[in-house]
Amino acid sequence: MGINDLLTLITALLIAWSCSLLGCFLVLRKAVMVGDAISHSVLPGIVIAYLVSSNFNSVFMLIGAAFFGVFTTVIIDFFHKKLKLQEDASIGITFTWLFALGVILIALFTDGNADLDQDCVLFGELGTTFLDKVIYNGRLFGTRSMLMILPVFILVVLFVVVGFKGLQILSFHEEFAKSKGINVNFWHYSFMALVSITTVMSFESVGAVLVVGLLVIPPATSYLLVERLIPMLWLSCLVSTISSLLGYFASIYFDVSISSMIVVTSGAIFILVIIYTKLKIAFRKKIVNL
Amino acid sequence: MIKKFISLKFIFLAIFFLIVFNGCVWQPQKYGDPKLIVCTTTIIGDAVKELVKERYSVKTLMGAGIDPHMYEAKPSDIRALGNARVVVYNGLHLEGKMTDLFERMKDEKQIIAFSNGMDNNRLIKVNSHTFDPHVWFDPLLWLDGVKESANQLIKIFPKDKEFILSNYKSLENDYKRLNQDLKYQIHSIPKSQRVLITSHDAFHYFGKAFDLEVLAIQGVSTVSEPGLKNVSNLVNLIVKRKVKAIFIESSVSSKSIKAVIEGCKTKGQIVKIGGTLYSDALGDKKSGANTYIGMMRKNVKTLALALKVKYKKYVELN
Repeated sequence: MGINDLLTLITALLIAWSCSLLGCFLVLRKAVMVGDAISHSVLPGIVIAYLVSSNFNSVFMLIGAAFFGVFTTVIIDFFHKKLKLQEDASIGITFTWLFALGVILIALFTDGNADLDQDCVLFGELGTTFLDKVIYNGRLFGTRSMLMILPVFILVVLFVVVGFKGLQILSFHEEFAKSKGINVNFWHYSFMALVSITTVMSFESVGAVLVVGLLVIPPATSYLLVERLIPMLWLSCLVSTISSLLGYFASIYFDVSISSMIVVTSGAIFILVIIYTKLKIAFRKKIVNL
Repeated sequence: MIKKFISLKFIFLAIFFLIVFNGCVWQPQKYGDPKLIVCTTTIIGDAVKELVKERYSVKTLMGAGIDPHMYEAKPSDIRALGNARVVVYNGLHLEGKMTDLFERMKDEKQIIAFSNGMDNNRLIKVNSHTFDPHVWFDPLLWLDGVKESANQLIKIFPKDKEFILSNYKSLENDYKRLNQDLKYQIHSIPKSQRVLITSHDAFHYFGKAFDLEVLAIQGVSTVSEPGLKNVSNLVNLIVKRKVKAIFIESSVSSKSIKAVIEGCKTKGQIVKIGGTLYSDALGDKKSGANTYIGMMRKNVKTLALALKVKYKKYVELN
């Protein structure tokens, strides 16, 4: 294993941990498809960034996308909380509408001709991250994606650690939290803002499928196995670590896209866990029947 | 429990900070393989292969029949990119997000963009600040790109100067003759029938170079859906001009083309599918379109056969 593999793996793991930590809370709140929604709804942000900056520079794209990521969560919340629409319907309306808006913007303001979509201007590819090394004074400090993701990861960990009580109570008893005078809105909006920034930054480094996959599969897997929040967070990180490592080496072996292989691996782990839990239940019933 | 959780996290974080912010001493290993040239598309790969022949190894990332928009890098491709001494790409944003990566790899590697050799005035604008990237369909414009990469390659490998130069000279001859041949071939199609209708906008340079009207159902990007108005406009035009055939592209879906054919049928005009044109990638060995010259000839042959009653035999180059 060379330095390049190590750099790629560190990037993958940083993203895997950030996503699986945030994903736990999203799974508990039945809002996990927010990640997928953001991957589509950033399109208008990209188009506007392109129109303003008139080039494909990814810094502008990132700012536009991040803005629309946060905007997406705000609209979803508005539909869900204020208009009492179901969470899934709110997510569905918001991201399809924003994506379609982006397509119309491309058609109207770029003469329908610019080669503009998330895939070719924003979404990165995990495999290529190691080519972009940051070297200063002859010392290797990591890759550009790593250094972009690291602050996000630290922010996620700090937020989960410092705001643990708020997040926990928000995920399980929102009404109870309100009655105790906890500022529910503050926790909700800062959490959602963090989710959108994390997903957009991760999209830029590794692409959409890996981020959306890691946001839901490891937390869902650990949700099947444990019943308390803290073990669920740890287990979710563990599952994402194992799937990143296995997926990475499998992708090298089969010579296929790394991101897809990591998601496939975590899906396989999920299926194994389902089989395990079913067998356990069946086994218990048998014992009771005896 | 929570206390334990917090302290563990902080220890873990502290270790992480130490590892990352200390940095490690890095000897830049500029390239693993000093003879490896990596090209993005098969069309570029063909030109570079002609320039350096067997003296250097040339690897292409996007294989035969792959739409550059749909390309996903395999680990072996990326390893090749990491090892390569020279990376050659098209430019004008054909490679999408990878263009950024190439720009940033400039410190470690020699990067050549075909579009750098081309005169901006000869490029086709799609809107105020972007150009159509499908430059290879104009053989003389493409030759400028080949010239640029030959010049750059000579700078990188000075001891092969004579070799690359003589290869370029023979390539120049071939391309110029190809241009003449194709012009002759296309001009034998009656002017009113010289209309090329395909699924996506890749053929504007082709149309400009060979005096051919080009219409497409889809824009330059293969992602956006074709507009309804576009389809009905096309149908009207086909009926009015009595266009005989429309064409499919090797790397783009043909669903929208079928919609146009159905539309024409309801108006009483029978349009056939003239065949498959190669657009963003070369074909495989069997097709005979596995070189740039072969691909261009094949496209023109398909066009001429479908748009013209009789197909004139032209003098083959080889």
